[in-house]
Amino acid sequence: MNEDDAGDAEQPAGATRATLEWADGRTLSVEPQPDEPVLDAAERADAGLPYGCRHGACGTCTARLLDGDPESLDHRRPPRALKPRHLDAGYVLLCVAEARSDCRLRVGSDVLAETRPAPWRDAGDG
Amino acid sequence: MSDTQQPGSGTHGDSHADHDHGAEGPGYETPQAAIEESEPEKTAYVMGLYTGTDVDAPDFVAVVDIDPDSGDYGEVVDRVEMPNRGDELHHFGWNACSSSCHVGGLERRHLLVPGQRSSRIHVIDTAERRRPELAEVIEPDEVFDHDLSAPHTVHCIPDGEILISMLGDADGDLPGGFLSVNDEFEVQGRWDPPGEIEMNYDFWYQPRQNVMISSEWAAPKTYYPGFDLEDVEAGNYGQRLQVWDWEDGTVEQTLDLGEEGQLPLEVRFLHSPVSTHGYVGAALSSNVFHFAEDGGRYRAEKAIDVEAREHDDWDMPMPGLVTDLLVSMDDRYLFFSNWLHGDVRMYDVSDPANPRFVDRVWAGGHFGPRHPTGEDDRAVVGGPQMLQLSLDGERLYWTTSLFSSWDEQFYPEEGDRGSVMLKADVDPRHGQMELDEEFLVDFGGMPHGPARAHEIRWPDGDCTSDVWQ
Repeated sequence: MNEDDAGDAEQPAGATRATLEWADGRTLSVEPQPDEPVLDAAERADAGLPYGCRHGACGTCTARLLDGDPESLDHRRPPRALKPRHLDAGYVLLCVAEARSDCRLRVGSDVLAETRPAPWRDAGDG
Repeated sequence: MSDTQQPGSGTHGDSHADHDHGAEGPGYETPQAAIEESEPEKTAYVMGLYTGTDVDAPDFVAVVDIDPDSGDYGEVVDRVEMPNRGDELHHFGWNACSSSCHVGGLERRHLLVPGQRSSRIHVIDTAERRRPELAEVIEPDEVFDHDLSAPHTVHCIPDGEILISMLGDADGDLPGGFLSVNDEFEVQGRWDPPGEIEMNYDFWYQPRQNVMISSEWAAPKTYYPGFDLEDVEAGNYGQRLQVWDWEDGTVEQTLDLGEEGQLPLEVRFLHSPVSTHGYVGAALSSNVFHFAEDGGRYRAEKAIDVEAREHDDWDMPMPGLVTDLLVSMDDRYLFFSNWLHGDVRMYDVSDPANPRFVDRVWAGGHFGPRHPTGEDDRAVVGGPQMLQLSLDGERLYWTTSLFSSWDEQFYPEEGDRGSVMLKADVDPRHGQMELDEEFLVDFGGMPHGPARAHEIRWPDGDCTSDVWQ
């Protein structure tokens, strides 16, 4: 994994910067081209993000917008794996999400799990 | 290549070319012939997967040594890695089985291994049983072109053709359907008339009865991300069986199992080609339904009810979650797994409509022992799930992962520590089973990191793939 060493790098014209943040504190900045899903840009940077269907149905690549305009990401196909409550909370699907402006995203396999907490389990038990 | 061509001569002593099954084609003439002519299994193929974890590696087909006389007994001795990440290998099946046993020259040789999430279908050549190789890949776009996605069950059908249940359309929504693949591993198109069904999951066909029965999970967009109670309340999970005219490929009857039949998953007919009896496990309702023809129509009725149990960590009784079941090759016993509770049960089905409980073992789950094979062995952090039985009915094996996103909800440790494959020794004469404490295949120690493990198959046919004409 490349640590974030591109934070101050010159941004190519037309590209936006998406800063990926994992639960363990690692970060990586990637620069999706216009009309390029953030996942594809992350793959070019060997980010190793989880993914599955690559067409917005499965949710394996779910991330959460931490910082940035809610309009900073557009889904190029309907994000079918996300329900309205997930979209309202800032969850996005990186396989079909295109960046319109700079943003910060929580990534990693644990993000999908946040969207579907264990059913029936006593709240006190986590 | 086609498996009707002359097989290549293997150099490995365990190659298919050495196997004489007494019929011209693949498989065995009858279920009893399978019991008589088969050797005890020495190799298992097991789905291994990283999809949905942070391990940056593709899923794989594990080759597991299950020959007790081998120095590698209980070890993963080879792994066929997929060319891409993110497939979620799940179920898989053969290019040919006993349903084509009179088709001369046809071999049970190629495994079709779908990616449940990717909709990519891999073809693995097992000419060398211990060194299978990736032979061909059907890319997702070839599947989406037929407005289908999410491949699940692979059944070889007579004459070398292959049929795959597809759970969604090209968007991961409903309706699903069936994809037909020919013996050259070329996609032929949709098998069923568009719109014939909505939800799909598993299927089994019984050709002499001209019937196929399929079950229902949900739309891929519903089950892919994980289980959601909101979807239960919204009626987004299935509870019906479809009874098909096998030759016409049309639905003749729809059996609504009602609230007691929610999430009907694996479908198993008895192996005898004259039987119309079979079972389906309703996972969420945790009931096993028996179905059979009665006066020209199929009927399904609840035959086994697994009682939900109180658990300190749950604010409602925990269902067993009957996620897999199978019938022994001699049609005498039904086995099923309670993935959440942690037990595998064995029922006498000599009177098919009235299963009689005979025995069970506990291993992991939320009520079974965490170290079932001994306190010094690794912990089992999931429950009994995908089952496979030796053809002679004396060894039952299982793995512990259900589906990556659902594992994360019900057994969050499984992704971090990996699955296990366990085994019970079965005594069919006395209706008993006992956990083999000397057997544990640890998928936690794979080279790229802990992996989940799902469906299991033997090279020479097993209790969940062979069908007789």
